[in-house]
Amino acid sequence: MSFFGFDTNLPRDQGAQSGSRGMFDSHDPFAGLSRDGDDAGEVLDFEQTYDGLGHRLEESGDTFNDDTFGGDEPVTRAQVGRDFDFAGETAKIRDTLLEEQALHHARQPLPQARAPQPARTGYEAYKQPEYIPKLEADASIWGKPAQRKPAEQPRQDNAPKMMSLEEVEAAMRAQSRPTPPAQPPQDVQAQTLGLKNMLGLGSTPTPPAQPHQQPPPPQFEQRPPQILQRPPQAPHEQPQPAPDYNLRTPHILQRQHSPAQGRPQSQDFHGQPPQPMQFQQPPPGMPMGGPPPNAPRGPMHMAQAQAQAHAHSRGPSYNGPPITQAQQMMSMTAEDRETYLAEEAKRAKRNHKIFLLSKNNGLMTPQDKNFITRIQLQQLLTATGGVDNEPGSEEQLAEDFYYQVYAQIRGPPRSGPGQPLNQFAQTYLFQTGSRYGYGRSRHHPRGGDNHVQRMEQQVARAVEAAKARPKNKQLVMEGSLGKIAFSNSKTPRPLLNIKRPDSAAQMRHPPKPADRKTTLRDIETLYSTLMRLEDHERKLPPPPNEESDPEVIEGHMRWRSEMQELNEQLWKALKVMEPIQPNPTVPHPFIQLLSHSKGKKAIPRVFRHLDDNQRLTMLTLIVIHLDILDVIRDAYPPQDNSPIPARVKEEVELFSQAIIPPLLSYINEAPLNIIIGLVGLVLDRVHVQIIVRTKIGISLLTMLTSRAELVRQQQQGTEEWQQWTDLYSKLFDTIEPVLPYIFPTDTNISASEDVHVWQFLATMGVGATPDQQQRLVLGAKDRVMETVTISKTLPEEMSQKRLGDVNLFMRAIGLDVELLG
Amino acid sequence: MAETEDTGANPVNEPLDLVRLSLNEVVFVKLRGDRELQGRLHAYDSHCNLVLGDVTETVYVVDEEDEAENVRTVKKQSEMLFVRGDSVVLISPQQ
Repeated sequence: MSFFGFDTNLPRDQGAQSGSRGMFDSHDPFAGLSRDGDDAGEVLDFEQTYDGLGHRLEESGDTFNDDTFGGDEPVTRAQVGRDFDFAGETAKIRDTLLEEQALHHARQPLPQARAPQPARTGYEAYKQPEYIPKLEADASIWGKPAQRKPAEQPRQDNAPKMMSLEEVEAAMRAQSRPTPPAQPPQDVQAQTLGLKNMLGLGSTPTPPAQPHQQPPPPQFEQRPPQILQRPPQAPHEQPQPAPDYNLRTPHILQRQHSPAQGRPQSQDFHGQPPQPMQFQQPPPGMPMGGPPPNAPRGPMHMAQAQAQAHAHSRGPSYNGPPITQAQQMMSMTAEDRETYLAEEAKRAKRNHKIFLLSKNNGLMTPQDKNFITRIQLQQLLTATGGVDNEPGSEEQLAEDFYYQVYAQIRGPPRSGPGQPLNQFAQTYLFQTGSRYGYGRSRHHPRGGDNHVQRMEQQVARAVEAAKARPKNKQLVMEGSLGKIAFSNSKTPRPLLNIKRPDSAAQMRHPPKPADRKTTLRDIETLYSTLMRLEDHERKLPPPPNEESDPEVIEGHMRWRSEMQELNEQLWKALKVMEPIQPNPTVPHPFIQLLSHSKGKKAIPRVFRHLDDNQRLTMLTLIVIHLDILDVIRDAYPPQDNSPIPARVKEEVELFSQAIIPPLLSYINEAPLNIIIGLVGLVLDRVHVQIIVRTKIGISLLTMLTSRAELVRQQQQGTEEWQQWTDLYSKLFDTIEPVLPYIFPTDTNISASEDVHVWQFLATMGVGATPDQQQRLVLGAKDRVMETVTISKTLPEEMSQKRLGDVNLFMRAIGLDVELLG
Repeated sequence: MAETEDTGANPVNEPLDLVRLSLNEVVFVKLRGDRELQGRLHAYDSHCNLVLGDVTETVYVVDEEDEAENVRTVKKQSEMLFVRGDSVVLISPQQ
């Protein structure tokens, strides 16, 4: 080795010589000095050997550096030259390095020898096209230390020879990195799947994820030694964790394929050689030249096998033994082969579909999905408030009154919107629960299930909390000064707690003459009471019978007494019973109510809750106040024949649509004495000559007299009959002077709406004596003639209508317009 | 009077209940943006969102071109109008 024939190796250098020289291609500047020393083994002192050349360096003597090193031209690759060859030289010692590394890692505890994983956040992994996080699962997932298969050893020996420098360096880089735990990606995926399962999507495996889950092939196929030390059974186990997450029922799948085996794969792992899986799930890619079962396979094959496993698990028909060899294929009957091929085609189609669907994979991270699921869950719980709202309950009505009423009107026995929701929630929870239970039974609780578990617990807690939530909206903590108000989106927390002292409210409204505001208030009170009554009516319990529970009967009784109470309130609110003042400065409160259109509209709704007596009282009150009813007072034809204001017309229209029908229905069943009493009241207290000139007034009179005529004919000769005849004469005498004026005058005759007048005249004519009929005709003669004349100039249709109206009256007195020519 | 009996049905407990008295009545509504409405109040809520019928809307426009800054009014008729509450300045019963 030595130039001069000496042995230049120092004892301490001897070991490192071969390694260091190749590495740096530099010789020891002091090596030559050691020649001078007599004793090669003697320890050299630096001071003795240092020649002091360093002191003679001229710091400023770099004038010719440029000549030496090439000046200030840009340094190019060519100029740099190839004087050094790091890679080339290093390659010489590569073997040693690799051996050392392998040795080093073999000595290390196994878990740390896990594959270098790029996954730090859990998401870089998904960017790699062929990433299978499951493959990285450490062996402890099965609850036992990794077992090293002897079959793997030969590969370990082969591996280094196939490695290139770059790979070694990559390996070294990977080594220097902190080994991330294999958990995150797996966890993440399990979360995703757990969520999917919870949402009922679990039955759809997520095969699209598969292509993305495979590890980078270079790392796998040309393994650096340390990767070889990973759980070497990985190839055999790969399918195993995958079905755990991707398929709901891995062992069912296996049963399908090999009914004889009938044992979950996980058990196989304990006792049997790990090959069955590969036998059962032939890779579709190579059905002809099936590889020996134990041959090492690339991840691609495994993925295919998996994909096929999915397909198989759902494939309905082909139950024959799985096909791995071409011979098997040949030996099959034509039928079987066809079935098999059809299955294959189906599978391929499905895989293609799955692939198409997979292009949106990874758009949402598991965290995103998790987040959204949580939001949905929360809304699910708050939507119903967590409280079980029975359909038809007050909460339900308050929540969605119009829908409820609509549903009631529509009829079909629907359980309301709350019911399906609750059912949904329950199913939801149930599904999750069962799925979770199932998952836990299969592998010990770790990783992915944690999340599902947390989620489920959260739901359970939320449900509990919602149920436990106090019904009153406040919680007063003992010893605290304030109150805690609960709130949710439906019932926001009241920020102000205004006390409403009942007594003060009463003081505020001392009795005072009814003004407009009081009337408005009365109307609102009436409506409030009415609505409470109608609300109560909706809650009518089913009618009890003899077999009903005492509770049901009691409930019914309670309902009825409440109904009674509300009815009384309604009656009070109607103000009918307010005392009638002899010389009122303001109209009666009830009449005031009627002077507003909303008051009028309330009457038909109120009327059906009133009993007969109340109805009569109300009718009486109306009758004696006829001339101050707004629809009569305001509708009195003005002196100048100007048309009645539109507003008044509307009110009149409303009155005749809202109030007349219920009154009419009452009067049409009233006995004659009541009619007599009412007509008597009208004649006594009301200016009949005024009301008869208004539409409402004349309608009411028509109602009364027509009913009286009907009943009178049945009771001819009785005392009441006589009474009525007297009353009728009185009425007739009162009306007779105004007969020519009772027709509406605001428009010309052709457009006049005077059918109600003709009706009234007809009613009067029916009961009239011949003498009275004569007077009637006299009073109405002008109008009759005018109408007939004008109707001749009118179009056929209108003409017919006009004449028909007139005929109502004419026929009542035994005449006809035809007679008039 | 009957108010003494049922305080539960007392319709005026809070300010907006005064608006309730004007239900189905013609009201005058002043809005932001120099607008006024006049119409029958069909419905309202706690935000002063209103539904009005037979509405006359009056918009006051200032013509800034002239030095005089004349104010002219633009009137619009609507059969039915939903008024968002945030623009309501005041609601007053007509008359």
